[in-house]
Amino acid sequence: MRNPVFALLQTTLPRVAQPAVIMVGLAYFAVVVGISIWAARRTRTANDFFVAGKGIGLVALTVASVSVSVSGFAFIGGPGFVYTAGLGAVFIVLPAAVTNVMGAWVLAKRMRLLGEARGLITVPDAIGARYNSRTAQGVSAIAILIGIIGYMATNALAMGVVIDSIFGVGLGWGIWIGMGVTLAYSASGGILAGIYNDVFQGTLMGIASVLVFVFVLKLAGGLGAISQTILQHDPVFLSPWGKLTPLAALSFFFVFSMGSLGQPQAIHKYYMLRDPLQLKWYPLLKTLGLILVLLLYFGVGVGVKAFVASGRLAPLASPDQATPALLLTATPIVLAALVFSGVAAATMSAANSFINIGAAIVTHDLPIALGRRVKNELWWGRAVTILIAIAAAITGQQSGAMVAFLGIFGWGLFASTLVPALAVGLNWQGATKAGAISSIVTGLVITLALETASYLKLFKFPAGVTASAVAMVASFLVFFAVSWLTSRSEGPTIADDVKLVMEL
Amino acid sequence: MALAYAEALVTKGASTSAPWIAAIAVPIALTAIMILGAVRGDKDIGRLRIPFVFVALILIVGFLAALLLPASESPTSSLWLGLPARAAIVIYGIGVLPIIVLPVAYALTFETQTLNAEDVERVRELGRENTRNQERLDG
Repeated sequence: MRNPVFALLQTTLPRVAQPAVIMVGLAYFAVVVGISIWAARRTRTANDFFVAGKGIGLVALTVASVSVSVSGFAFIGGPGFVYTAGLGAVFIVLPAAVTNVMGAWVLAKRMRLLGEARGLITVPDAIGARYNSRTAQGVSAIAILIGIIGYMATNALAMGVVIDSIFGVGLGWGIWIGMGVTLAYSASGGILAGIYNDVFQGTLMGIASVLVFVFVLKLAGGLGAISQTILQHDPVFLSPWGKLTPLAALSFFFVFSMGSLGQPQAIHKYYMLRDPLQLKWYPLLKTLGLILVLLLYFGVGVGVKAFVASGRLAPLASPDQATPALLLTATPIVLAALVFSGVAAATMSAANSFINIGAAIVTHDLPIALGRRVKNELWWGRAVTILIAIAAAITGQQSGAMVAFLGIFGWGLFASTLVPALAVGLNWQGATKAGAISSIVTGLVITLALETASYLKLFKFPAGVTASAVAMVASFLVFFAVSWLTSRSEGPTIADDVKLVMEL
Repeated sequence: MALAYAEALVTKGASTSAPWIAAIAVPIALTAIMILGAVRGDKDIGRLRIPFVFVALILIVGFLAALLLPASESPTSSLWLGLPARAAIVIYGIGVLPIIVLPVAYALTFETQTLNAEDVERVRELGRENTRNQERLDG
């Protein structure tokens, strides 16, 4: 499975440093700075810093959530993957039709209500409360932290690639500038700055995606004309699985649907909604927003395939050049500038979320797991935010191979460690503390072991089987088996308030 | 899914049954976890039964149709909303139909099946009690 950020790193983006692109890029950064200054003035407590004081409205939360759910992969690596693999690559984004409403039913209500009853602010908090266990909270915190290390390093490098492409400053400076701006708003305004920057960035991504999609359809003469052209040259491209095996495509659907229930950057946001009753429209709005942002993924992938097949576009040097090649040769430069700013927005938005979650783990979850409380969580939150960002920028400067490896396992690691214990555990009273801890450890160990062995080429999975999928399935099996085996010996451990939330 | 992956691993990817198992297992797993989330205590899922069954069937039928229907993509293929038949089933059936059904069903049944003001107030009262207890403990 290709990790979203990892795919972006495979791209050597062309230099697009032209006056129009630089102007749009500078305007983008100016808005980010403006929002950050405003947010910093409103951040006074750790609650403000980590969950925006639980005061975010429905529309803002929805757009922000769309923004963190989509990485640069949707704009660069994804269309390139469609260009190569055909319709099979769409199975990565097809689950968007069910994931948001699934998240709402399975997690949103219960996490938001737990936030109300217990004042929880992190994902490990919810696991700790559900199982009445500091060990479960600590183990899940460690698993998330390991995933974040990988994601942050790759996001830092991805930011460097995009900023270098827009401003022509070189990769090293690109990393420091991107991480510096992200750090400035993460450390000053915490998640409040992150959310409102996400709103701006998500809006920008949506506008860019829709414009490019409409432009591609107009240029090609409609979806029918695109299909006709592709069918003349490469009919397999438009078969249901494209150039993937059926199991590979179905595996994508499984991992990206079920796995979405374990992505902390998205589910952490459930705590922030001002009024739990506003959840009513959240899945519908988020699904529509996500579809708009993902139009580019499909449109550019099939559009460029048709343009290259018909000779209107030169053959690509690599698949990941699909978006840049289309933008720089066939669209107005301002549209290209918008998309490149959108890619920068996507990487910065993801980095901000991970920095914030990582800081919460270090200053809140790990001390709780060790039986301690940090006295000034806001001060320590800011300090750890700075440390994480600097560490990510330094790691991002290391060898591409190492950074790419770190980025491979993020999504799968979150999925295999959190989905059974959190998503099933919050809805099934038969789950036990031992079951949760065992499944988290199983997901962590199997993901790391299989990804490492696969990376070192010690073995190769057959087509359609991925380390993430195997680890998630194994984690589920262990969760159910251990819960069943220990249900009598553990006895009832669910606190009354948590039980009420689970039964509502 | 465990069975599908085990089959694929044992046969080194040559299994012909693994995709069929996955085509049925994925929709069942997703629908099952949605039902688990929608259930409130001992009550059943009421009217939500309809959208859940509908979406499970849409996904199963869509995946199986993609596996079963013969490859017919060619320059002379007739197009459904701009796509050849099997591709249209995947994009519009699996990718679009659930969007129309599930989030709308969620919103329409929200107060009766998911959460209402009374539920929120009960939890808030518990929250206030927890805060008072914590303050008492802190001295």
